[in-house]
Amino acid sequence: MVLATPIVETADLKKTYILGKVPVNALRGVNLKVEKGDFLAILGPSGSGKSTLLNMIGALDKPTEGKVFIDGVDVSTLNDNQLADLRRSIGFVFQFFNLIPRLNAIGNVELPMAVSGLGKNERRKHAEELLETVGLKERMKHKPAELSGGERQRVAIARALANNPRFLLMDEPTGNIDSKTAKEIMGLVKRLNEDEGVTIIMITHDQQLASQATRIVKMLDGSIIKEIGQL
Amino acid sequence: MKVGDVFSYAFGAIRLRKLRAGLTTLGVVIGIAAIVALLSISQGLQVTITDQLKSGFATDTLIVSPGSGGGIFSGVGGGVGGSGSDFSLVVTDTQIINEIEDVVTSAAVIQEACYVQSGDRTVKLNVVGVDFDIYSEIYGSTFVAESGEIVPNPDNGTVVVGKRISDPWENGTIFCNVDDVVEIVWTNTTVRPPENKTYAVTVAAVLEEIGGLSLTGPSDFAVYIPISQAQSLFGTDECDRIVVKIANEDDATIKAVSEAIEENDAFSGQVSVRSSTAVLNTISSVFSTIELFLAGIAAISLLVAGVGIMNIMIVSLMERTREIGILKALGMKSRTVLTIFISEAVIIGLLGATFGIGLGWVLANVAATIFTGGGFAVATGQGAVSGAFAITPVLTPTLLMGAFGFGIAVSVIFAIYPAWRASKLKPVEALRYE
Repeated sequence: MVLATPIVETADLKKTYILGKVPVNALRGVNLKVEKGDFLAILGPSGSGKSTLLNMIGALDKPTEGKVFIDGVDVSTLNDNQLADLRRSIGFVFQFFNLIPRLNAIGNVELPMAVSGLGKNERRKHAEELLETVGLKERMKHKPAELSGGERQRVAIARALANNPRFLLMDEPTGNIDSKTAKEIMGLVKRLNEDEGVTIIMITHDQQLASQATRIVKMLDGSIIKEIGQL
Repeated sequence: MKVGDVFSYAFGAIRLRKLRAGLTTLGVVIGIAAIVALLSISQGLQVTITDQLKSGFATDTLIVSPGSGGGIFSGVGGGVGGSGSDFSLVVTDTQIINEIEDVVTSAAVIQEACYVQSGDRTVKLNVVGVDFDIYSEIYGSTFVAESGEIVPNPDNGTVVVGKRISDPWENGTIFCNVDDVVEIVWTNTTVRPPENKTYAVTVAAVLEEIGGLSLTGPSDFAVYIPISQAQSLFGTDECDRIVVKIANEDDATIKAVSEAIEENDAFSGQVSVRSSTAVLNTISSVFSTIELFLAGIAAISLLVAGVGIMNIMIVSLMERTREIGILKALGMKSRTVLTIFISEAVIIGLLGATFGIGLGWVLANVAATIFTGGGFAVATGQGAVSGAFAITPVLTPTLLMGAFGFGIAVSVIFAIYPAWRASKLKPVEALRYE
């Protein structure tokens, strides 16, 4: 039997920051595999290194030691331009939404497609579909400041899906919204995973939220301490 | 990312900060306006002055004046500058010059500033002694009578006057006319005490209007007396200059004749020869220097604008660090980030240059109107005799394109550093930036 290449794999991943003059070991040798179709929650308290891990997987930062493979490709071998190309195939959802304030909802969703060089009509059509998927068809022309936290996060999810990514990277996606809206957002995320087959890697410090995922790994002090198996 | 999308993104960023972008653009507008206004006025002035000089110009003439260095405006008042020496040209030197190859003829010119009195009015002007016959031959198109007649070898006691001597105020109030008797009063300052010599003459002819400043030829502002009369009135055989008519006006002839005169033994290298064309060239080169100087001053204001652009972009870069992080997380390449920032500078430069050229052109025209209407005049001689002329600012395609290009270039050059810094931001650090 031939095993499929994991969509994400890390091998003995280490990251050391120098804070002031003190070296801080944010990651101390993380080995992780994410298969296509997974909904993985990385659970851990603040400072456990989960955000650092997410940045490595998202090719936003470089490890001090060890390797990250995306679809079998060693990220450390890629140059600046290739990294940018890689990031286009990853959907980021941030805790603080990170929408461009001066662009309206549809403008924000169109942006990754514009970056990819897609034509105006094509990206407009796709953005409308995505906003419909996240239930924001009526709010397309609103700017982020005119949207609620939950709505902003939906826009962010729609934006993350814009370039049909290999996987979604979610950094505390409900960390900044009320519990009722959080529930709706999680419903949307689950639906994307179950119905659309989108691979999701989500980091959270919330046990309950993590329990929505199909896999949970627990992190503490820069290491994975426990994997709560396949649900 | 497509070029159109890059520009539209950059334009969106500018529109978000209208006041700031407006003030930044204003810097470029002022710089470009200064360049356009100063240069179009100075080019207009050059055109005006050149035109003035060209009227009454004979390009087949050379001017011989004493002094080896020679001055630029050797036709006026016996020359400006030139190395001082005891050497003098005398009236009979024309015989030596006439023997040189390619010389058609030559006329000695004696010129003195005198008071001319007609009725109860007196003006100070140049009285020029020339051989009417030869002078007419040299300046066939300008030394022409409008009224009266230029008699080749007139009796003593007759003069020819320039148009502006006859009608100095251009309003019909005639200072003197044909057959009027005027008195020329010359003060001999070489004797102690200075003594006045008075010479009553009849106006035989009034010249046609020549126009212009007539630096080297007949002038609207002079009184012409026969050379022999000038010699006896001023008590000298020394002349201020000798005007030489040459067979050809090509550069080779001009050069050959000039050298032949300058190196003639009789003058022992103590004269300088200048062609009318050379005078024009000198003026043109003086203007080039002035324009370079003015452009330099104006360019400084544009550089200040450039520093303003850089300053604003660095501030903007800090404010937009997070945005750059987002763009990079969405997969934007570093060079696209660079292009976005450069595009913002291009838009500012484009707007600044466009409005700057418009404003500069308006300012140039306003200034030209003020100069002209406000009596921007060149006084020749003392008294009422003056010639006012209008300046029309000139906006050449070179100036237009130059100003446009310079405006954009300065904007872009000063944006390169901030844009480069923006493009080099690390996505993870930029996203973390508060």
